[in-house]
Amino acid sequence: MPPRTYLKSASQINLAVVLSLAGIMGASANGLRSHDKTRFEKEVRPILEEHCFDCHGDGEKKGNVAFDAFLSTAELAGKTDLWMAVLKNLRAGLMPPEKEPRVPAASIKVLEDWIKEGAFGLDATNPDPGRVTLRRLNRVEYGNTIRDLMGVDFQADAEFPADDTGYGFDNIGDVLSTSPLLLEKYMAGAETIVAQAVPLVSKSLPERSVAGREFRGAPEERDTQRLSLYRASDLTYRVRIQQAGTYRVNFRATVFGSFDFDPARAVVTAFVDGRECWKKELFWQDRKPLDISAEQRWEPGEYEVRFVVAPLVGADKKPAPRPGEGDTYVNVDFDGVKVAGPTERESWTMTPGYDRFFPRPDPPSNPAEWPAYAREVLQRFATRAFRRPADAATVEKLTAIAQLAWKSPGTGFEQGITRALTAVLASPRFLFRVEGAQSETVAGQHPAIDEYALASRLSYFLWSTMPDEELTALATRGELRKNLGAQIRRMLADPRIGELVENFAGQWLQTRDIESVSIDARVVQARDAGTERAGRERFERFRKLNEDIDAATRAGDAAKAAELRKELAEARAKFRGQGRVEFSAELRTAMKREAEMLFRHLLREDRSVRDLVDADYTFLNEPLAAHYGIPEVKGKEMRLVKLPADSPRGGVLTMGTTLAVTSNPNRTSPVKRGIFILENILGTPTPPAPPDVPSLEASEKTADGRELSLREALALHREQPLCSSCHNRMDPLGLAFENFNAMGLWREKERGQPIPPVAGQLITGEKFANVTELKRLLANERRDDFYHCLTEKLLTYALGRGPEACDVPAIDEIVGRLRREDGRFSALIHGIIESVPFQKRRADL
Amino acid sequence: MKTSMNLDASSTSRRRFLRGLGACLALPACESFLPRAGAASATALGTTASGAPLRMAFVYFPNGAIHEHFWPDGRGADFNFKRTLEPLEKVKGSVQVLSGLEHRNAEPGPDGAGDHARANGAFLTGVRVKKTAGADIYAGVSIDQIAAQHIGQRTRFSSLELSADAVRKSGSCDSGYSCAYEYNLAWRSATSPLAPEPNPRMVFERLFGGGSRGDRARNFTQRQQQQRSILDFVLDDARSLQSGLTHRDKDKLDEYLTSVRAIEERIARAEQFGTTPDPEIETPAGIPADYEQHLRLMFEMLALAFETDSTRVATFLMAHDGSNRPFPELNVAEGHHSLSHHRNDPAMIDKCAQIDRFYATQFAWFLEKLAAAKDADGTSVLHNSMIVYGCGNSDGNRHTHHNLPVVLAGNGGGALQPGQYRTLEPAPMCNLFLSMLDRMGVPPMERFGDSTGRLAI
Repeated sequence: MPPRTYLKSASQINLAVVLSLAGIMGASANGLRSHDKTRFEKEVRPILEEHCFDCHGDGEKKGNVAFDAFLSTAELAGKTDLWMAVLKNLRAGLMPPEKEPRVPAASIKVLEDWIKEGAFGLDATNPDPGRVTLRRLNRVEYGNTIRDLMGVDFQADAEFPADDTGYGFDNIGDVLSTSPLLLEKYMAGAETIVAQAVPLVSKSLPERSVAGREFRGAPEERDTQRLSLYRASDLTYRVRIQQAGTYRVNFRATVFGSFDFDPARAVVTAFVDGRECWKKELFWQDRKPLDISAEQRWEPGEYEVRFVVAPLVGADKKPAPRPGEGDTYVNVDFDGVKVAGPTERESWTMTPGYDRFFPRPDPPSNPAEWPAYAREVLQRFATRAFRRPADAATVEKLTAIAQLAWKSPGTGFEQGITRALTAVLASPRFLFRVEGAQSETVAGQHPAIDEYALASRLSYFLWSTMPDEELTALATRGELRKNLGAQIRRMLADPRIGELVENFAGQWLQTRDIESVSIDARVVQARDAGTERAGRERFERFRKLNEDIDAATRAGDAAKAAELRKELAEARAKFRGQGRVEFSAELRTAMKREAEMLFRHLLREDRSVRDLVDADYTFLNEPLAAHYGIPEVKGKEMRLVKLPADSPRGGVLTMGTTLAVTSNPNRTSPVKRGIFILENILGTPTPPAPPDVPSLEASEKTADGRELSLREALALHREQPLCSSCHNRMDPLGLAFENFNAMGLWREKERGQPIPPVAGQLITGEKFANVTELKRLLANERRDDFYHCLTEKLLTYALGRGPEACDVPAIDEIVGRLRREDGRFSALIHGIIESVPFQKRRADL
Repeated sequence: MKTSMNLDASSTSRRRFLRGLGACLALPACESFLPRAGAASATALGTTASGAPLRMAFVYFPNGAIHEHFWPDGRGADFNFKRTLEPLEKVKGSVQVLSGLEHRNAEPGPDGAGDHARANGAFLTGVRVKKTAGADIYAGVSIDQIAAQHIGQRTRFSSLELSADAVRKSGSCDSGYSCAYEYNLAWRSATSPLAPEPNPRMVFERLFGGGSRGDRARNFTQRQQQQRSILDFVLDDARSLQSGLTHRDKDKLDEYLTSVRAIEERIARAEQFGTTPDPEIETPAGIPADYEQHLRLMFEMLALAFETDSTRVATFLMAHDGSNRPFPELNVAEGHHSLSHHRNDPAMIDKCAQIDRFYATQFAWFLEKLAAAKDADGTSVLHNSMIVYGCGNSDGNRHTHHNLPVVLAGNGGGALQPGQYRTLEPAPMCNLFLSMLDRMGVPPMERFGDSTGRLAI
């Protein structure tokens, strides 16, 4: 049967639904089948009457929901948002409330089945895959696709404006818009990329570079050797020559002196194969590249190149650094050598990257044959770029672009092709993911997407890039579906799976934000220690001193200004580095890596996704371990660390990244932390706060000026009935993490006062004494909620659209699979890829 | 690359048409034309009575304002700035402070919470944006874009969209609203926001070409020629693709097609404007780490665009509504948004006011720059501009959207009477917008957003 559209009811009743899900399809007010109606009256209504009508019927209308306030059963059935909320609340145990009798499992089943079949009108024999809007490549996908297609790196995130997000992800088709500005950037980007990636000549002088660090006697670890004219250096390298011919050796070196004069002098000599080819006395001067090159006829063998610095002025003559002015010096930066050859044209080799675009070693010598070859080149390229075969008409138009370019004098074959390639990279078939449907389709059935589309969905889902050769080859032969399982396993084992971690987990857990989130380490720690006031006073004092200095300077009182400066310097020195922890970039990156590595580890080892919530291990390096107070982790390398039995860490909720991105710049936010768990772990987000209620935490003071603790302020808030229904759900969750400050540091005190016990209770009744027990509850008792939540999030990411009513059966199936396989990650990934919404396309019936 | 550009007869004729269009409408470049003698019609498109370009810009600051510090003392021409707007003292004669304007469509209706998204989304559109996390964003055409549609063809760029929000939050934005409402001010259509550019280098290169001074004009022209050669192909490709698509997919491709046409028109137009201006400054390096520097660079780009008459319509989102940026430079460690819910705590109010003043200081710097820039008719660029400085949130603490903090800067080429503090009867912000459109010479619109009439400005 055709999917019915959800018509807005003209009913007077304002349905403020507990959970809002936009864009949902469902049964229309007048589209209810008669047997569904009968089923509702006979089976469903009695359950509702027994368990729900106390609050949502017979004149009661809590939360603005009443099941008996509709003109007809059909109208009630048409309220897709309402039924979606019923389903969620029922399953998550939120309704009926904890103190009311539970709905028996059999009755839940009756309700579930009726909601799916009756209210949503879902047809199990022809499941509705939902609608996926034409997706533009987002910045990440664009950059990756360019890398794989063109072989060059393009900084899409620096060149293109940020993509808008929907449902928490930046790959949502409906939200990814195109503007003239963006298209202009795509066109400019295409020019840059093609110019960088496509060689214009088939053969070129072979060349290789030897970095400075590869030389024997190199004092430093870096590619560029910084050689002082005060120090003797002798750097040698043996060049291996395989083909006889003439070679050109270039020494890449630059001399430069400090801004102020320095007396260093030295003789610098370059040798090639024992022959001195350059010698000069160098001294203090502005930056100047040294032009050193030599040509040499070589038979196969090994030849030495050598770079020598012989000082003429002793290091004892070096001036002492003057305070405030810095060091003086004269250095030679030695980047190594470039060896080019054989220079004889017949020995030239294929230009690197040439065969990526041009299948033949050379274009035809007769330009009359160019168009035919151009078709071949462009057909091949456009097919790869479009991720599906390019049709003949398109190839013809591209060839015309190349031909037009050839009309300009001096334009070679390759140059003409680059014009056409630029056009391909700016075209909609490249920038958008065009999907076709399988041709052998039963009338009235939603068709499967075709194999090319499947290859693209797979590769953009798991790798955020275009399909590789193997996927494309299988799709071209029509054998991808047949080999789906094996291909998924191959893709999961590939390093490119890191993209799923970075882009999915990065947005789901917001680890992308940790590197930029504003946290003021100084204030956070002052707050814990209760020294905020002192900090403020200190700042005031500095400011006052600065003002006085300015005033004294203006007044021409140099002596007073100097005295004040001294006072300022002393005051500063006293406070500098007083046991302060920096929330450094290094630490933030380690936090991001910690979350990513856990996600990656679970994928690779195919462990249970429940480890995301609760695990007895994590990934640390020395700075992060020190931050967490975990001993015996040395060095900068991140690695798997088994946690001490009493450690509160393990799982994403107690990771630095999560704790920081759910905090305010100056302190923790139990509300944000609670919401984070409800939204991203339990999948039961609260509705937004009602209008005119200011964000509660903004106030920590009562009217009489006494400072309330955050906990007191929250408690006060929960006394208000308007606030309590949601804050009762989020506050206990968020407060459980109060022992972690805004940087994720463990703390015993806030504002100098001990933090009260963090024991609490879930809205579903389960009690916990501390954060470890809370994590355990979430990973075990509330496991199904987590499975549901993660499945919805990952499905949203995979499809590029938000969850709809028609996805309920697919999601249920995947959750069932997770349950059977104890949360194994592969069950989730395979489940999503094999699901109806991933495999099919809604037919336009 | 030296290639001849036109691919087939039909594209040639389309260009010829566009060129013709440009030729009829184009004004000579800024420095070379003479003021028209006498006071000509005040409704000439995008032009002042003296014949100079008339510009309009909209500058957004986030999270409302502390009213007691924002509104001046006194009224009419006899007024004194208070703490927040005091930085505008030097240009006092060129600004008017307007109280009483409102955006009722930013207020909560059945759509519940999400005042920041609504305030930001309604600011230039005047409509109640659709509450959605993604699938079907819907606002309205913004006022700047209506102006741009009419007068855009007179300049090299029909409009300029800037922001100083370089980093976007991941995850969803305000209370179930798509981030699109918060990070965009300008909407070309109800479903297509115009993403603003935060990188000053990009803005500069787009306006004047890349490379160093002296090479820019050539680079700019070369790039345009290259672009033209591919436009025909991609347009064809889009059209052939379109035939097989269903509803929403078609919309997405329409955005693409519209963009292609916009670039075509711009290129055709650029050819009518002779040499590309080459400002005597270094190309900016990129986004500076310091926020104040960033804001000033963006303002400088905007000033350059106006001075060179590269565009007459611009929007600048200094920070999106709901921005929770802390201000360590002011010793304010809390985020701006958290602070704005001050619950009448004096210390928090004080910090908010500091931030309000910080934004006003940057705006004042911009106005002073425009005041110092001489325009073609001998007055200043500021004289020949209408610049709205405001926020879609009024009281950040209570999330109100009436009595919005608004400053209207510039003399509108002599059409406005700045130098006063006007306390208006409550009226929709859109009334002001309609009157500004009239001043721009746009054919009178009956309504815009929730307008109820016009504001006598």
